[in-house]
Amino acid sequence: MSLLRTEGLQKNFGGVAAVDDCSIAVEAGEILGLIGPNGSGKTTLLNILSGFLAPDAGSVWLADERVTGMSPVQLARRGLLRMFQMSRVFTRISAFDNMLTAGLAMGLAESEAESRAATLFEELTLTHVQYLDAGQLSGGQRKLLEFGMCFIAPPAIALLDEPFAAVHPVMRETMARFIRSRHALGQTFVLVSHDMPIIVDLCQRAVCMNAGRVIAEGATRAVLESAAVIEAYLGSSAHV
Amino acid sequence: MSEVNNTRGNLWVNRLKKDFRASLAVVLLLCFAPLVVTTPYSFGILIVSIYFALLALGWNLLAGFTGQFSLAPAAFAMLGAYTTALLDYHLQTPLSIGIPAAIFGTAVLGWLLGRVVLRLTGPYLSLTTLSFAEIARVVVGNSIEFTRGDQGLNVPTLFENRIGYYYLFLMVLVATLVLLYLLMKSRTGRFWLAIRDDATGAESRGIDVVRYKTLAFSLSCAICGLAGSLYGTFSQLVSPELGLLMQTGLVISMVVIGGMGTLTGPIVGAMLVYLASEWMRDFGGIQMIVFSAAVILFARFLRTGLWGLASKMMQGKGKP
Ligand SMILES: Nc1ncnc2c1ncn2[C@@H]1O[C@H](COP(=O)(O)OP(=O)(O)OP(=O)(O)O)[C@@H](O)[C@H]1O
Ligand SMILES: [Mg+2]
Repeated sequence: MSLLRTEGLQKNFGGVAAVDDCSIAVEAGEILGLIGPNGSGKTTLLNILSGFLAPDAGSVWLADERVTGMSPVQLARRGLLRMFQMSRVFTRISAFDNMLTAGLAMGLAESEAESRAATLFEELTLTHVQYLDAGQLSGGQRKLLEFGMCFIAPPAIALLDEPFAAVHPVMRETMARFIRSRHALGQTFVLVSHDMPIIVDLCQRAVCMNAGRVIAEGATRAVLESAAVIEAYLGSSAHV
Repeated sequence: MSEVNNTRGNLWVNRLKKDFRASLAVVLLLCFAPLVVTTPYSFGILIVSIYFALLALGWNLLAGFTGQFSLAPAAFAMLGAYTTALLDYHLQTPLSIGIPAAIFGTAVLGWLLGRVVLRLTGPYLSLTTLSFAEIARVVVGNSIEFTRGDQGLNVPTLFENRIGYYYLFLMVLVATLVLLYLLMKSRTGRFWLAIRDDATGAESRGIDVVRYKTLAFSLSCAICGLAGSLYGTFSQLVSPELGLLMQTGLVISMVVIGGMGTLTGPIVGAMLVYLASEWMRDFGGIQMIVFSAAVILFARFLRTGLWGLASKMMQGKGKP
């Protein structure tokens, strides 16, 4: 059974079908790439999966539980954690306190959250800024911090919305290495990215969306080479 | 401009501990005030400024720690005062029940208001709490049969002398500080700060925003309600004037000038602003103009208030 799956999800904004009859499945332990042109509905899909939007139709299943319409808090408690395309960190407390808060919110004891936070800052090479207020971090450092906050208590699934965008190549490599190491421990990911080399490198499988619909899915290479995907990326989808 | 601090001192617990110690030092100083203050009039001023310190701490819990810019602290002080006064007037309820009833009643009302404004942020939240505050004041003022309207109600007193009141208010201030310190050090306080900085982000981390927001509302309003109830027994008269929006304006200026999101700031701000307003009384109605100007200046140039400035200076000195 898939760890996470959707059936016929639909979300309309006015006349726009941001997510249109979308059915996907995420297998336990995989890194699923979610790609598609700008405005194809990737973030909207993640918003539904993480409970920030209720779908107009369709359903979401986490293992054998129907979780459609549950609140973000209920879903986070079930281990569905997401990272936002636009960083959301707590700007007026230190980066370290951000990490601690994430741990406490996942139910860790304070001492445990502290030692895990220290380890994460080392792994992400952020130790030199850990006591700065998060609002004083650079854009890339904030991304890395929010990324790390998802893993202080390993989630069932990490939904990452363009974690690499606007991040320095060295830090990208740090993130990619982190993802690989967690993947080796069995962590499941959904990874949204416009960076095809990274998608090819990290993801065994990929789903491509266009105008809210899934236009291709399967082994990453095959998806990237499929005619529908190439056409969508070349921008000739305007007539659809 | 906020200063850059990349030391362990910038960790929330360490900031909070330093802040808590400073607030206790201020209270300690106030304990000795009776050595220099002798006239009943000046005692009255000190007592009222501690009343305002309590309101400022209550409001700061919502605005400074949780990011909910309520405009109802004075209204809740009024409601607390009236709870005690009405229980006495209609049912001859003793103060030993009337004062806890004020805490409980305002906590429940605060919880309800918190539910109402749950999905609101920024100016929408402020305007809704403002409407609530004005409606509460008008209802209390116009229910003449029940509340005697603008005439107000007499309330029995707890102590015959002002020294007794002074130390009672100080004790309540210390208790409030300790409670806030313990909360801010715990999970609850950290979740409040997270909600203040980014409610959506907090939700995505699994923080029950609904629960913690309403808890903050409830507790903040209960602190204001208790302050109002005690103030009523001190002045032995409660009237709708307690809930005037201008009183809320004073509370806001106290917190902004003293330092929002801290424990010491609201107390210091309350002392300074209230003493200044008493002093300016001689010059006619210029207080609100002066305080509004001060709020604008602080919000523009000194976001962290006087306590922020002081702790920055202490930090500079503390370096080897
Ligand atoms: N809150 C909203 N209100 C109205 N329309 C929206 C809203 N959110 C998304 N949309 C629309 O839904 C469509 C899908 O947007 P979405 O953000 O999901 O795309 P995306 O695939 O994440 O794009 P990108 O790669 O640029 O991040 C777009 O046409 C967008 O304009
Ligand atoms: Mg997007």
